[in-house]
Amino acid sequence: MNARLRADGGALRRGAGRRAGLLAAAGSALALAAVAACSSGGGGGSASGTQNGFKPAAQTGGTLTVWVDSTRLAAAQLYQKQNPKVKMKIVTYDGDANGSNYLQTKVSLFNRTRGGWPDVVFSAENNEVTWAVPAGFAAPLNKGLIAQATLDGWASGANAPCTVDGTIYCLRNDLSQTVLWYNEKLMKQWGYQVPTTWEQYQALGQKVATEHPGYLVGDAGDTFTPEIYLWAAKCGANQITGAKAVTVNTTSSNCTKMAGLLDTLIKNKTISISSVFSSDFDKKEPGKILMLPGPAWYGGALFQGTFKTAAGQIAVAPMPQWAGDTSPSVGNVGGGTWLLSAHSANLKAATAFLTWVTTADDYQGKLAPGYPAYSAAAKTWLAGQAASGYYANDIAAPLQAAANQVWPGWGYGQFSQEAIWAATVTPGLNAGKSLVSLLPAWQSAIENYARSDGYQVATS
Amino acid sequence: MSAATPGRARAARSTRRAPWPGRAGHGFVAAYVLLLIAFGVVPTVYAIYFAFTNADGHISGLSNFSNAANDFRFLPAIGHVALYLLFWLAALVIFVVGLALLLHRLAGQGVSRALRFLYYIPGALAGAASVMVWLFLLDPSVSPASFLLRALGYDTFGQVIAPGHLPVLFTLIAFWTGAGGWIVVMYGALNNIPHDIIEAARIDGAGAWQSARRIQIPLLRKWIVYMAILAFAGGTQLFVEPQLLSQASVGVAGRDYSLNQLSYDFAFQNNDVNTAAAISVELLLIGLIAAALFVARSGFFDAD
Amino acid sequence: MPTDTHTARAHAAPSPAGTPPPAGERTRRRGRVPRNPLPALVLALFLVFFVLPVAWLLLAATKTDDQLVHGNPLSFGSWHALHANWTALTGYQDDAIFLWLRNSAVYAFLALIITLAVAIPAGYAMAMTQFRGRRTLLIATLVVMLMPNATLVVPLFLEINAVHLIGSMWSIILPYAFYPFGVYLTYIYFSTALPNDLLDAARLDGCSEFGVFRRIALPLATPVIALVGFFSFVANWTNYFLPYVLLPDSSQFPIQVGLGTLLDDVPQFNPTVGSLAVQRPELALATLLAITPVLIVFLFSQRFLVAGMLAGATKD
Repeated sequence: MNARLRADGGALRRGAGRRAGLLAAAGSALALAAVAACSSGGGGGSASGTQNGFKPAAQTGGTLTVWVDSTRLAAAQLYQKQNPKVKMKIVTYDGDANGSNYLQTKVSLFNRTRGGWPDVVFSAENNEVTWAVPAGFAAPLNKGLIAQATLDGWASGANAPCTVDGTIYCLRNDLSQTVLWYNEKLMKQWGYQVPTTWEQYQALGQKVATEHPGYLVGDAGDTFTPEIYLWAAKCGANQITGAKAVTVNTTSSNCTKMAGLLDTLIKNKTISISSVFSSDFDKKEPGKILMLPGPAWYGGALFQGTFKTAAGQIAVAPMPQWAGDTSPSVGNVGGGTWLLSAHSANLKAATAFLTWVTTADDYQGKLAPGYPAYSAAAKTWLAGQAASGYYANDIAAPLQAAANQVWPGWGYGQFSQEAIWAATVTPGLNAGKSLVSLLPAWQSAIENYARSDGYQVATS
Repeated sequence: MSAATPGRARAARSTRRAPWPGRAGHGFVAAYVLLLIAFGVVPTVYAIYFAFTNADGHISGLSNFSNAANDFRFLPAIGHVALYLLFWLAALVIFVVGLALLLHRLAGQGVSRALRFLYYIPGALAGAASVMVWLFLLDPSVSPASFLLRALGYDTFGQVIAPGHLPVLFTLIAFWTGAGGWIVVMYGALNNIPHDIIEAARIDGAGAWQSARRIQIPLLRKWIVYMAILAFAGGTQLFVEPQLLSQASVGVAGRDYSLNQLSYDFAFQNNDVNTAAAISVELLLIGLIAAALFVARSGFFDAD
Repeated sequence: MPTDTHTARAHAAPSPAGTPPPAGERTRRRGRVPRNPLPALVLALFLVFFVLPVAWLLLAATKTDDQLVHGNPLSFGSWHALHANWTALTGYQDDAIFLWLRNSAVYAFLALIITLAVAIPAGYAMAMTQFRGRRTLLIATLVVMLMPNATLVVPLFLEINAVHLIGSMWSIILPYAFYPFGVYLTYIYFSTALPNDLLDAARLDGCSEFGVFRRIALPLATPVIALVGFFSFVANWTNYFLPYVLLPDSSQFPIQVGLGTLLDDVPQFNPTVGSLAVQRPELALATLLAITPVLIVFLFSQRFLVAGMLAGATKD
């Protein structure tokens, strides 16, 4: 009897075991099938694969989903307040800042599940179109959605990072054109003239090194240092020539000339190699700044916010140029862009919001922390800045002039120039190497990153 | 007679009660198997599927693997990870076991408990929480350990995070966050060693070091192997520490340092899940080979 | 250490050991009273290593940003600054910090309950019972544990989307509940600490397998339940990437992702943040709030890691 029981038990066990095994296998297969069925099987491209032409989704209206970062949350809330009839869902996210790639990640996941895209998105980066257009996410804006007259109101070249083959796919939120910030009180006290050329700038730096050692005329320790100095000097390190093509030449005369200038002043310690946001700098230097070439947002974020420099000292002058240069050029550090989703089911409301948030005086002119890219709003913004009474001179004129002088030969590729500089050049500077000696390494690093992002790289 | 029958009856009853000895086992693990399949097996198999296909879903053989290997960051990353692994495994195994043993020998239960708690606190500071901590800690101008940094000759943050220092820095950060938890595990494992054995050893004249080496460590074998397997895999899959330092230094140090970071870059920057999966599969293979070696040599899977 | 000799002498009588140590040994040990300072030194050194950064963080929450940079790193700030930081922190996006903490608590606790209900029986079964597929299960668990998770995000997202759970908190809790590390901990614990004789005795007494588990193994498993519960809670509490990718709404974020959001608003990391700047002492305070529940759970579960759980259970 025991034997029979054991035999039965054995059969039962085998059967049950097999059943359990089958069940497990079936469960896995089912799950896999479900997952496979729900994915588009593509690597993030839209099903139609077209790059021109824009097939809008079914316009069913509904809630307008807007993604903003915490700084732009005020803009979205103001719009909701002024337009209570518009149903809005406002979502805050990190703004895709600091290389988080959040937007790209989510859009590629949404592409796989074919749903869930937001209608309008703010991004702190300027290079979103490099992936958003191939991914079929960004909608073309100058093919009827927004009037050309409106688009003409942006500062010249402001929407260049948003343009692919003549089609504008995003709108610039703010500009960060570079100007020369300086301490007027100290300049007057020491009887210095504000330099208008880079040669004068270098000479002044050398004078300061001997007469007032410890004082700074610039900073080369930030990740955006190349965007201040080398971009303004027309260095061809980042010439985006097509959707996936770039020309990189960091050893041209424009680059080596500026690098040499920086080396001279770094050597005599009038240019610091600590980032302006580092604790190191914050501890010793804020009172020692004589001049600081930098973007428009230095005034609020750096001098008022971080250094808490007293009012009435900081003034703005145009960015120095090389003597004899007939086309003045400045650099640009950052900005932000707004994108409209090509999958939006509510294009009318989305476009209305997009237009308002980039051009309205109520937000851009009165509330925005940065210099608006839309020229009319910029005028209002500058008036507000002047009214604050913080600056020692009229900052409107140099900023407005510089807004239209951003050199168009430096673009925004998928690879981050700031990250490349930080990983390649900054460690070398920290180790005491000269910038001129680091230019070839910078060149090969840019080439490597560009190629690994699928770019065709030319070197001249 | 009567003694034998109840025994046999009991034996018969127990056999009859469990005609399928494995049924109870299956019952116990059923829920776990469900979760394992849903959140373990399916994603893993899918990821492996990604590694051997291209973006359109067609089988692409080993092209993703060669794609990854040809990337200019691949070979340096291997070097970085190998060096880090050396430092990390050594530091973790030696210090965790050593500290657990020392804590276990402490007289005062209160002191031992307090120390275990204090050693653990950094473990709660994972990821984003500790970016700021390390930004300040490694900056000689504001660090509470500035005397140490300056004594080593570093005056600025940039000098501390020089590329040559990174393996040590990452080991430091990883140990700081990870050691506390493992010390708790080892301590608990030491508690399971019957007190009589230790006492017997002491009576027999074994000193602290000897009883540790001859009795405690061998009895901790499975735990140490488990820790070594996970530490090895965690070391090869280095990600959090370089990412943390990269965030703190705004990209100056730790970017594209490890293979896992490269995998993330491919997945989320280039939208190339296939190459990312290829790197993941390579990391998985290395981890499995090491685990297999550890397991085979220590009888890890034997139910005692 | 002197305590060794004390306990050794106390147990000298009832201990079943063989020959007592030679008289010379005993006197030598009694004479070796000076405590070896090395263990204490090592423990103290490591104490400084682990605790110094935390002490800095604690003090950082009481300072202003200015004091953080210019003052002594280990100086106390002021109660006023602490209050100011607290006000600023709670004012961020209208008490977002409490919402995040609440979310974390909900996710972590729900996942913890499921994890314990699933992992403890599974680990027990793999250690103490024989069944078909036991070894396969062990190997599968190990393989899945070792898989790097960069590429697991996409399949996970697709799976969760397939069952329409995107946006629900279960999209986080269910993946959290899958905790192979805990299963292995349980497996090792039972296979090393629970002698089979105990279970066989119970089985001979007519207990069903589940009865054996419930009556014998579970009561003795308190240390590992505490351990697995604790580690599961911490893993869930500190998980960043999964909620970051899967949760669409910032009101659903757990505290870890919330800290990342705060970090993004620190001017030193994001220069153009403007008036919404989160100062670093505020972030320090937020971090302290974020780690406090973990430490409380640690202290609570430590009570169960008591020595000698199995003393007297078997007569050897």
